[in-house]
Amino acid sequence: MSPTAIEASEEFQPATPAELSRFLAENSAGAQKPVYPVGGRTALNYGHLPSQNGIAVSLAGLSKQIDYPNRDMTITLEAGMRVETLNKILKDQNQRLPIDIAQAHRATIGGAIATNASGPHRYFHGTLRDYVIGIEAVTADGTVFHAGGRVVKNVAGYDLCKLMVGSLGTLGIITSVTLKVRPCTETTSLIWATYDNFSEVDAVLENLLVSEARPVFLEVFNGKAAHQIIGESRINLPEDKPVLCLGIEGTEAEVGWQVKQLKREISSIGPDELTVLENDDATKLTSTIQEYQTSSDDPISFQANLLPSHTMDFVQLATEFHVAVQSHAGNGIVLGHLPDDASTPEQAEALLAPLREKATSGQGNLTVLNCEDHLKDQLFHYEDSTPEWNLMKRLKTQLDPHNILNPGRLFPVKADSAT
Amino acid sequence: MASQVTNSGPITVEIIDRLREIVGADGILFDPDELLVYECDGYVVEKKTPDTVVFPTTTEQVAEIVKVCNEFDVPFVPRGAGTSLAGGCLPVGGGIMVTLTRMKRILEVNLRDRYAIVEPGLVNVHLTQHLKETGFHYAPDPSSQGACTIGGNVATNSGGPHTLKYGVTVNHILGLEVVLPDGSITQIGGPIEESPGYDLAGLFVGSEGTFGICTKIIVRLTRNPTAYRTMLGIFESVTDATQAISEIIGAGIIPAALEMMDQGIIEAIEAAFGFGFPLDAGAVLLIEVDGLEVSVDAEADAIHKICKAAGAREVQAANSPEERQLLWKSRKQAFGAIGRLSPSYCTQDGVVPRTKLPEILESITATGIKHNIRIVNVFHAGDGNIHPILLFDERDQDQIDRVLKASDEILEKCIELGGSVTGEHGIGVEKINFMDKLFTQSDLDVMGLVRTVFNPTGNCSPQKMLPTAGACGMEHIKKSHPGRQAAM
Repeated sequence: MSPTAIEASEEFQPATPAELSRFLAENSAGAQKPVYPVGGRTALNYGHLPSQNGIAVSLAGLSKQIDYPNRDMTITLEAGMRVETLNKILKDQNQRLPIDIAQAHRATIGGAIATNASGPHRYFHGTLRDYVIGIEAVTADGTVFHAGGRVVKNVAGYDLCKLMVGSLGTLGIITSVTLKVRPCTETTSLIWATYDNFSEVDAVLENLLVSEARPVFLEVFNGKAAHQIIGESRINLPEDKPVLCLGIEGTEAEVGWQVKQLKREISSIGPDELTVLENDDATKLTSTIQEYQTSSDDPISFQANLLPSHTMDFVQLATEFHVAVQSHAGNGIVLGHLPDDASTPEQAEALLAPLREKATSGQGNLTVLNCEDHLKDQLFHYEDSTPEWNLMKRLKTQLDPHNILNPGRLFPVKADSAT
Repeated sequence: MASQVTNSGPITVEIIDRLREIVGADGILFDPDELLVYECDGYVVEKKTPDTVVFPTTTEQVAEIVKVCNEFDVPFVPRGAGTSLAGGCLPVGGGIMVTLTRMKRILEVNLRDRYAIVEPGLVNVHLTQHLKETGFHYAPDPSSQGACTIGGNVATNSGGPHTLKYGVTVNHILGLEVVLPDGSITQIGGPIEESPGYDLAGLFVGSEGTFGICTKIIVRLTRNPTAYRTMLGIFESVTDATQAISEIIGAGIIPAALEMMDQGIIEAIEAAFGFGFPLDAGAVLLIEVDGLEVSVDAEADAIHKICKAAGAREVQAANSPEERQLLWKSRKQAFGAIGRLSPSYCTQDGVVPRTKLPEILESITATGIKHNIRIVNVFHAGDGNIHPILLFDERDQDQIDRVLKASDEILEKCIELGGSVTGEHGIGVEKINFMDKLFTQSDLDVMGLVRTVFNPTGNCSPQKMLPTAGACGMEHIKKSHPGRQAAM
């Protein structure tokens, strides 16, 4: 499903930020070809699809560890480092970056930051914006800039780290970052509970808000998603019903106490069945859940962002449409895969329109994540008419006046004004 | 182009009439005697009175005020409670000060969705007090939280003791309503946790009033911990105490708070609050762990052992909620106790990697001796965020000069050790000359481009954050001391 414009583009792989800077400066002063930054190529179909061939700038040559003063709990590394490599470096010092980044063997840390990758653990640990404390990037005209620094608390200068997280490579190419890291946790357990319907799950979620325990994630799956996850993980669990899955981590004592406490709390609103997973099973299921969005081969997927209080209602509707649903329920995020038979734009839109309507009526939004390239134009658009989007466009124009970096990705390029 | 370079022209009767129409007669000050209160904030080294102070009560009034300022080409600067320790509220070049303390309502509390919407003038601690029986609180807790406003916290991305574990202001802001410097009203971010596009709310937090004036703030609410253990580690020397800090963090323990106070400040605090701090100790660490009842004892034990191994004379536990309260009151009001030591003080806000704390503290001591300035320390040790307090008498120009020199040297040392010149107070006018030491010209150029998007004329909070305001010929400023900027 890789977008053809990027596949068809020639590739440039700089070995140093200076080389990248020279390359971009020349391009900006000369041909002004579109530039597509690529890391592990795991998220090339995010946003609008680029239509023009250009140059794919691969960060594979910028993948070194720069500085890891582990006792300060910070690490500075080049953006092209694979997430798997980073995880291993940290683990050797009993530390971690507690962000769920799928396909860690391919994904790069720069790509994860540009796409603001996250997953179930964001409920407790937050997102990459909470961990990127320093950044170096290169703008479309080759200007190398830094923001933040290498200390955990720092308010000098504008926080361009925040601006770069989730900017989809449209403002600058990230070349290195400094991250705040956390200690590893001693052990992990999961609770997998099935319910008869989503209103029961909603009531449990509301109770969990004032739980005595501190679960690290609150995931909800509908029967279809639960079935797929169980299939992937090959752990024998109850399925085909709404599932609430809680993650618990900490020391043996903390996890043991919390599992007991949570079992008691969630049993007050009758779960059908309740299973506790420990040790290897817990690790395996956690990893299946982290990878679930990339393992499904359903053709069209979406993300809806909602208020947590509206989430189960939305999940209910999506379930009626035979969508496979994973929800980071504590954060109001719903990830859905449309059924196979919704393969034409008309069929897909017949499902997406009422879901979008449901989301926006409660201050939320819905965007298509993945679909066949030829469907994207019809199914995908950002609600970009607000004053806030106007500010975003002005930022893009200010930092990239010739629209060189990832043109069309966030703001559609009009055919007549293509660079 | 705005006239932020020189003092703004005289504020005419027409301007005052127009502003009065917007905010009413009791919402405006222009009598020089009344304006005196607004000549500085918590940073007393530089002073400049605004030409007029207005007190809007609604977003629309703020927008109208901004439009009048633009119409007459007068600079304007937002102000909360004026607790900035870096001159963030100083009206450089004069102009209109927009004071937001009358916009202090809590507009919505939504526990199910874990957010609250507040106005910028709300005093920080009032939100947490309002949430008292709910099991939730607003996590950022600057030491000035009894006075400072949440709008001011947003402007400076404030920290506080408990940000070690819970993060600073930006980690708790979901969205903002802002009046942009052109007078338009825009919502950025929102109660929904994630939306496509750039994180403008994240960018806006910490922009020190240079991107506009925020008029509503959507904050994340945090669940209260169920258990605390609060300890006081007593050390013979600052070196031993900093060693303990380094060992605690190095061992992978993240306390909720980890604060250091040296002998000089202990003396003042003890005189003020009578907690029973040992006056002969070289330094004390105030350490708090929080979380589940089942886990706090183990963490407290581990910390106890590390402190003892680092040479602590004694590690005392707070035995009751009252004792804990008094410990925290002593710490948070430490600055109020400084009046016992000297007539004026200047607090620095450098940051170093946590393992470099012993080095920076030795350097601070040496700097104090070199310039014959008494320096006491009370700071967020767990973050590596130092707060050396330089004591002086502002009536003595020679002392002021020595304080400024000593401050500069301390901050230069922070940079040399791989740190920053401000962890939570902001650049303001005080540290603007350090920006080109921390950042390259390219870095500053890109930041300037970003500012232009929000604040193209530079009329909003001129001469803050960046050494040049993205506007006309102020290059010479970089070389002169900020002391002269305020008066320009």
